[in-house]
Amino acid sequence: MDIDDILASVDHGPGASPESTSLDHQSLTRFWVSERAVSEVLPWPTALMDRMMDRVRMQIESIEDIAASSADAPPPTTHNQNANANHNPNLNLRLSILQTDLARTQYIIRSLLRTRLAKLTKYSMHYLVKLSSTNQNLSQSQSQSQSQSQSQPTPEDSVPDISAIASFDPLSESEASFVHAHQKLLASHYSGSFMGAFPRQLRRLDDNAGGTSMIQGPETREVVFVRCLGAAVPVLVVGEGEQEEDIGVTMRMGDVWVVRWEGVKAAWLKGEVELL
Amino acid sequence: MSYYDVDSILTDAQKLPCTFELEVPGLGILEGNPGEDIKPGTRIDLPLWLGEMLSIGARLGTSRLVTLDMPSALSERVMNALKADPRTVDLRSLAPHFYSLGERILELFEEEELVDVLMETFKKRAAEVSDQAHNPRGAVGDGVDFLRGLDETERQLFRAAHDRAKEMRVWSGEAKRK
Amino acid sequence: MAFPLPRGITPSEIGFLAEMEMVTVVPRQRLEGLELLGGPIEPLVPPRRASLPLWLALLLKRQRRANIMPPSWLHPEPLNLILEVESQHPDYRDAFSPPPPLPGQPSIRDDGLAPTARPQYTPDGNRYYASPPFLPQNTAQTEGFSSRDPPALPFHWVEMGNMLLESASDDLVEPDQIRRLLKDLPATGGGGVALTGVGAMEVGEERGFLTGVVDNLRKIGASKEQARREQMAEQRANGAYDGAQDEEEEDYMEF
Repeated sequence: MDIDDILASVDHGPGASPESTSLDHQSLTRFWVSERAVSEVLPWPTALMDRMMDRVRMQIESIEDIAASSADAPPPTTHNQNANANHNPNLNLRLSILQTDLARTQYIIRSLLRTRLAKLTKYSMHYLVKLSSTNQNLSQSQSQSQSQSQSQPTPEDSVPDISAIASFDPLSESEASFVHAHQKLLASHYSGSFMGAFPRQLRRLDDNAGGTSMIQGPETREVVFVRCLGAAVPVLVVGEGEQEEDIGVTMRMGDVWVVRWEGVKAAWLKGEVELL
Repeated sequence: MSYYDVDSILTDAQKLPCTFELEVPGLGILEGNPGEDIKPGTRIDLPLWLGEMLSIGARLGTSRLVTLDMPSALSERVMNALKADPRTVDLRSLAPHFYSLGERILELFEEEELVDVLMETFKKRAAEVSDQAHNPRGAVGDGVDFLRGLDETERQLFRAAHDRAKEMRVWSGEAKRK
Repeated sequence: MAFPLPRGITPSEIGFLAEMEMVTVVPRQRLEGLELLGGPIEPLVPPRRASLPLWLALLLKRQRRANIMPPSWLHPEPLNLILEVESQHPDYRDAFSPPPPLPGQPSIRDDGLAPTARPQYTPDGNRYYASPPFLPQNTAQTEGFSSRDPPALPFHWVEMGNMLLESASDDLVEPDQIRRLLKDLPATGGGGVALTGVGAMEVGEERGFLTGVVDNLRKIGASKEQARREQMAEQRANGAYDGAQDEEEEDYMEF
């Protein structure tokens, strides 16, 4: 972030201004489209999602209030029916607009969460290993060496411990605990139904033998559709080692390209390209 | 190769001509002669995963057990046919996972020309796949033969193109019904 | 986990997205302003025009509470012009006609001017550049764009045309002619080459196919790419690296 960005963000500080409501909604929509476009789980936008969930909660309350106020109105008689209708002629219309708007936002949030859960369950071991690599007290490597020395290893021993991790990135806290609980259940089910009967050395879920890892991660070399939003954005050509990077073609504002996700992810994180 | 991917497991099960360089006691079972030895110079078709493992010595520069040959699906004759007209070749009968086999072979052999022929073949055939998915010509003529000859990668491509085209018609149909 | 949808939003989700485009309505009744989750809605006072998201405009239209003014491009003349450009102009015969410029992007007539991307800032201090469906590309008077700009098809033109022909054809000028023109449009785009100017539905339709093609080309070319990388690393080590030679088409395509 450069100094202009910092100044501008102070100017537009957080708050419930009308612009920030629509800006947040636009950001949520764009994030949902992005999450649907790639195989990996994108970094959870904690602050944005907290604000959205608060607004959804408040909107549900205000819809309930409006609905209750209409129910509280005195029962229509021939005398006050017209008066009541004149007093609040658009009540039902307002309600149906507010409810439609709420349902549309809820659809986006649900689809977003379900997409992420689908990726998490598909690549559960990958994300658990990623999370546990931020473990603060190295309990992970200890527990693993312990489990290997045990006489009766079980598939559950392969599930990394994430009780002391320093960061949930790219997941939210509840996603992290979900994926851990999910994998524990799965491992114990495998153990009970077939893996328990395997020879001891075949009971792990994170085996590397034969040069093929059992842990499958998302494909980051796949291609995505992007629109360039910044004035000029270079596409990175990522090498095998992920450290070596070369600059490939430069996309210009408004261009739509089909490019490797790994080559534009950094630009996406800065908001300079959008996924289509 | 990915661990749980059925297509890559099936690719690795495709056979490759292998020539034994050394005598191997007791391995005659590969030739259908259990209990016998394998003599140097014996040619057997082995699954890719096995041939690759047995040829590893060759790549390490030590004495090798077997040398690998090009599978017939990627032979000179097939390459020439693909160069002439990629659309008339029945890839499926050559190898159900034709392109995946090509990728694996290219990991083992350095064959610059093979890369170019496969790329050119795939591009030309993909254009035809797209055409067929959007304008199906029904169960008559060249279209059927072409579609029958698609390898697994091309079939998935056809399905992707066809399904999305259908979803799009459904969406615009829905919009009409309302 | 039961989530059967493939990677990339589906045609019906693209339609949902297009319903967030702002259109111009002429209300037939009053309605106080509303605070929606998508942002505030201005009060409706007939006969004053108002900008509303398409989903709300359609909701009011179906209840005969408002009329929708067609987007400035959804008239026979501009569509004829675009069709002419797509079929006649040598630059676009095998491509899409240029899309409406983004804010800060010089129009096609100011070719040569450098674009200036002007970000907004989110409450979290991140840069945000607006793009469809959150730009006024479908209002009756396209604000922000000068009138000398040639007509252009917005990103969500298929969906917008489809939905307005369906639910508000009586608000369109010569709807039958528009229907015919819209049918002709994608046909001239044939060949499917340059993607800039592509519509959202076209992305949705071609995504699975195109990504499949590019991904398989990458896999076939992997061994060659590996060899090239090794060669590059070697050249770099010798201080003789020439960056120009690694521009291989399978890394990125603008078709």
